[in-house]
Amino acid sequence: MITFSQTTIKEIEEIRRKYPTSRAALLPALYVAQREFGWLSPEAYTAVSDLLGVPEAIARGVGTFYAMYRNKPLGRHVVQLCTNVSCMILGAERLVDFLKNKYGLEPGGTTADGRFSLVIMECIGACGTAPAMLVNDDFYENLTEKYIDEILEKYR
Amino acid sequence: MITITINGKEIKLEKAMTVLEAARSAGIKIPTLCYHEQLEKYGGCRLCLVEVEKMPRLQTSCTLMVTDGMVVRTETEAIADVRRGILEFLLINHPLDCPYCDKAGECELQDLVEKYGPTTSRFREKKRKVTENLQDPVIVRNMERCVMCTRCTRMCEGVQGASAIAVISRGGHSHIEPFSGNRYDCEYCGNCVSVCPVGAIMSRLHRHSYRPWQVKENIETTCPYCGVGCTLVAQVRDDVIKRVVPKIGSPVNNGMLCSRGRFGYEFVGHKERLTVPLIKKAGVFEEATWEEAIGLVAKRLGEARDKHGSGAIAGIASPRCTNEDNYVFQKFMRVTLGTNNIDSTARMGYAGAQAFIENIFGQGATGNIISGLSNSDTVLVIGGDPTTVNPILGLQIRACSRRGGTILTVGHVPGLQHFTPMELKPGRRQETLLLECVVTALVSRKGLPGSNQRLEEKIKVVNADIATVAGQCGLHEKEMTDFIDSLAGAGTPAVVIGKELVQACNSGYRLFLACAISYLINGRIYLLCDHANEQGVLDMGCAPDLLPGYRPLSYAEFRKRYETAWKTTLPEKNGLNIFDMIAAAGSGALKAMYVMGENPVFNLPDSKTTVAALQKLEFLVVQDIFMTETARLADVVLPALSWGEKYGTFTNMERRIQRVRKTVGREGMEDWRIVAEISKHMSVRMHYADSGSVFEEITKVSPLHRDLTYDEIAEGATIYPYKGEPLRGATEEIRTDRGMTCPEGGLFLGIDRPLFHSGTLSRMSPALGKICPDAVLRINPETAATLLVADGDIVRVSTATGSLELPAVLDKHADRSVVLVSNIFEGRGVLGLMAAALDPVLGSPVLDTIPATVERVGKAKV
Repeated sequence: MITFSQTTIKEIEEIRRKYPTSRAALLPALYVAQREFGWLSPEAYTAVSDLLGVPEAIARGVGTFYAMYRNKPLGRHVVQLCTNVSCMILGAERLVDFLKNKYGLEPGGTTADGRFSLVIMECIGACGTAPAMLVNDDFYENLTEKYIDEILEKYR
Repeated sequence: MITITINGKEIKLEKAMTVLEAARSAGIKIPTLCYHEQLEKYGGCRLCLVEVEKMPRLQTSCTLMVTDGMVVRTETEAIADVRRGILEFLLINHPLDCPYCDKAGECELQDLVEKYGPTTSRFREKKRKVTENLQDPVIVRNMERCVMCTRCTRMCEGVQGASAIAVISRGGHSHIEPFSGNRYDCEYCGNCVSVCPVGAIMSRLHRHSYRPWQVKENIETTCPYCGVGCTLVAQVRDDVIKRVVPKIGSPVNNGMLCSRGRFGYEFVGHKERLTVPLIKKAGVFEEATWEEAIGLVAKRLGEARDKHGSGAIAGIASPRCTNEDNYVFQKFMRVTLGTNNIDSTARMGYAGAQAFIENIFGQGATGNIISGLSNSDTVLVIGGDPTTVNPILGLQIRACSRRGGTILTVGHVPGLQHFTPMELKPGRRQETLLLECVVTALVSRKGLPGSNQRLEEKIKVVNADIATVAGQCGLHEKEMTDFIDSLAGAGTPAVVIGKELVQACNSGYRLFLACAISYLINGRIYLLCDHANEQGVLDMGCAPDLLPGYRPLSYAEFRKRYETAWKTTLPEKNGLNIFDMIAAAGSGALKAMYVMGENPVFNLPDSKTTVAALQKLEFLVVQDIFMTETARLADVVLPALSWGEKYGTFTNMERRIQRVRKTVGREGMEDWRIVAEISKHMSVRMHYADSGSVFEEITKVSPLHRDLTYDEIAEGATIYPYKGEPLRGATEEIRTDRGMTCPEGGLFLGIDRPLFHSGTLSRMSPALGKICPDAVLRINPETAATLLVADGDIVRVSTATGSLELPAVLDKHADRSVVLVSNIFEGRGVLGLMAAALDPVLGSPVLDTIPATVERVGKAKV
């Protein structure tokens, strides 16, 4: 059984107060749970639904609908690389191959050491500075192979 | 008046409605999938698209409201084309396994495709494969067949209020999950099963055993489980109930059922049913003929009467048997045997509480329409969880909340936790004080209405102020004043009273306070009711102080009426009630007992005492459908026909009389017929050709049931007080004595009342057994921690009377000072451990003062 830390419980209660109903607070609360546990495991859903007093089925329905919730365990760091039009024109697909060959990182997959997971994104709004990616919540643009090496070095 | 034209037909409408409803009212069919009359409108499937003149594109008729002068066409080539296209999309992932699918024949998708096409598909991609899911005990899911109409989730969330299932994932991966089976998630009502238009969610009980078109008969009858009395339709093939379905529009449940009603019917054809009469010879039961058995019963009862007098014989009637059975039974006891020693387990709470309430407000005070609860603006719940005791009544409270009504509860009610109740949670022993405080505050806020002087004199004595009580109950003054303000401001309130109040310490006084609250806010009272015919058994006079028609025996004029009708002389004195009977049997004063359709050993407190008492009897005859704990002690056991095999009537908690109909054939006799046969052997002839003629007699002799007929009952014209005369003017002093002092501190034993069982019948239902297979001990996690008990550990719970070993289940909803065990499973019933005192006012056992100890005896199985 997993449980929230006291700070997180406070944070979720704080979130709850901003909304008229418990269900309305579900999206941000799930996001906090994902941050705390790394992904939304069945236990994480239980914890959130208990804390907010929302039926578990409703919490799961919401959490599996939106793309930014992770419903399977991912690596310690999540690389989200855009391959949409602008990024593709500027070589994002080569970068996908690069990640695969150098780091063993397949789209949708996780490295053997659990360090990185790769998620292919559809446009993160950085067309002017493509190709672009997110590592966790950090934003990187004008990517090259060398630059990616430097970036990933920061995430152990 | 709104006039619209659909397919050239002019339709005049009194009130606003959707185009779909207007069309249906005029007999015009528009195909639908996601629309269901019980559910919120969704507009998702697009099959109900119609052409509306002056509107630019096709419109969904299920969501479009009619306007005056609207011109609609529902079947044109263009519409058919669109519908065909939608169906083609729906079939992309559909397995087309109709030959194998149980739904075929009543599948809405199949019917639509048959009508509109397409005959072939243009999609060549692989279909989504999802294996059939059999993890659930009673429901089988096949998500390949799902068309994502979301009827099931809208039912589960918006009507049932369980919110146990939801659409999981997105787009082509969407599916319905999970039937989690936690205590207050999936309630196994199966209402998702009834609304699923395809074969995606179905009952496992009849899986692959019949086709819808093989159903020979659809028999409308009344559910045998709780006091709500839902209408259900039994679908029968080859003399077996294959399936139970609800009926939309039925007055009590309107298309809804609970787990017991829908899945609990298998006891009818159970292989352990008694089939032949049994006579105990030298301690062993031997099969006997009816002639032998009935002859013996008549002889022994006659001997007991002649040797020891009528007062040495007693009878226990049954809240599971029909009115007809109970009427004939009490007539037999009174006329043939000459005793008023007749009672039932209604004495466990319902009878005393109802008599108390009716003494204050008049007869019929508890006979309020269940569906009216959802129209109340305020519902106050005291004494238990209505959603488990009377599930369909619970749905009405949830509906009330959804419609903006205020739900107020004294104590925590888990089944209403998602319905924003205002809860006041005093300590277990402070409830009385809290109710006193509410009464006092309501008087000061609203004043006394002046219509019931007797009651008001008693109310004036009550005095408890908020500040003091809040301190003693550990509550905030603010939450108490908010609560009281809501009550005081209620316009159409209802007060729901449960067993936890009726069977509690000081229950008589608490019930007085609840009545006082109801009086001060002008509320309607709903008294929760465990058994299908608990009201009927009282109305039929199966009580030591009542004659049929709920007439007090102590009034000579009522006795005279029945003496004339039955051509007999009735004993003037009230008989023994069920607890007195056991005591009298134990002391040797009672010599013979006739038990019909009841299991006193299991269903009365303190089984050891009951067993010892019954063993002392010279003669015990038990008439039942199963070999119960009580039947084992009998000298003669008579097998009766069950609910599903006979005709008759039940009276529900609203006092609505409803028909019970024979669904399957079986050799044997109805309870009333057996009793009449015994009476005949004792030279008191009772001439009844069928249950109808018993009922006819009831309507002739009972002033309450006067002139009723089976036909009227079938039409539903049977709301209390029918055409009869309710009792007026018979009142006694309103008692407000408190009875015993309630023990404080320590751990007490309590009754777990699970949603999935009711005991006697449900434990013989394999499906309900799969949902909830065995007894457990529910314990608050904090209490468990102090006892070093972990979830799943085997614990021994002991009282002064005995002990049980059970797995512990940690339940955060349980009170810290109580451990809960159900009274359902043989050998593991909680009542047996409860040597309870009786409340001096209500006469019902006080079941919340039994000290218990809990110790861990084994580790949880991993």
